[in-house]
Amino acid sequence: MTESAHHPAPLSPVEQRVAALQTLLTERGLVPEGFIEEITRQYESEIGPMNGAKVVARAWVDPGYKQRLQADGTAAIAELGIGGPEGHHMVVVENTAGVHNVIVCTLCSCYPWPVLGLPPAWYKDPPYRARMVREPRALLAEMGCLLPEDVEIRVWDSSAEVRYLVLPPRPRGTESRTEAELAALVTRDSMIGVARL
Amino acid sequence: MSTQLALSDLDLPRRNGELAFDAPWQSTVFALAAAVIEHAFGGDREPFRQQLIAAIAAQPGRPYWESWTAALEALVQALP
Repeated sequence: MTESAHHPAPLSPVEQRVAALQTLLTERGLVPEGFIEEITRQYESEIGPMNGAKVVARAWVDPGYKQRLQADGTAAIAELGIGGPEGHHMVVVENTAGVHNVIVCTLCSCYPWPVLGLPPAWYKDPPYRARMVREPRALLAEMGCLLPEDVEIRVWDSSAEVRYLVLPPRPRGTESRTEAELAALVTRDSMIGVARL
Repeated sequence: MSTQLALSDLDLPRRNGELAFDAPWQSTVFALAAAVIEHAFGGDREPFRQQLIAAIAAQPGRPYWESWTAALEALVQALP
């Protein structure tokens, strides 16, 4: 806790609780030197939606890959060197002209970390978790994702094991784009299913 | 569903316009849970997940990372 030496401002109650946890767990030998810094660095710079975007772009340009992705998401994602906690049972759901998929975790905040990173704040908040199941069309519209009435909405509730990734359709007019250029078009929200490309 | 950012946050890394963590204690408690899951539960995330579900259900309006902290406290109390 060298930080506190430089910032004498008192810790808030929750900061005190976290500091107590850190002391206790370090004393028990459960927190190796540098572990917190390394995990933080990974989730702030390496693990994020740019990984999922690579998966989506590969599926767009390689029909064989797309087939493998839909047959066994975890294995196909691992082909690109992507995997880890919260990604051991990945299921990829494809958006089509008639079906729009969206992911949610109704009980807590389950989310496919290896391909999307940590979830955005709104994904973890009660309104999203409750309303995406109860009234997905209305909530999607409020989030700017307007779907025609004849498009079926499928809501996937992340369970203990399964983590979902939405595969959005390749935008029109991108035939000449390279795989890397395509990956740059893919947004996090399109892979959660709260936006279209 | 917007995020208010203080000026002091502007030099922190972010993705899609959102910070992965809003404050250092949040990344610390996130990493502490990862350490406990890895080193005390052999990588099994389910015990922590059950505590997180219970912590969120107990106080649905509580800020997320505070529920995360409560879940980790409960998990640590149950350690042998």
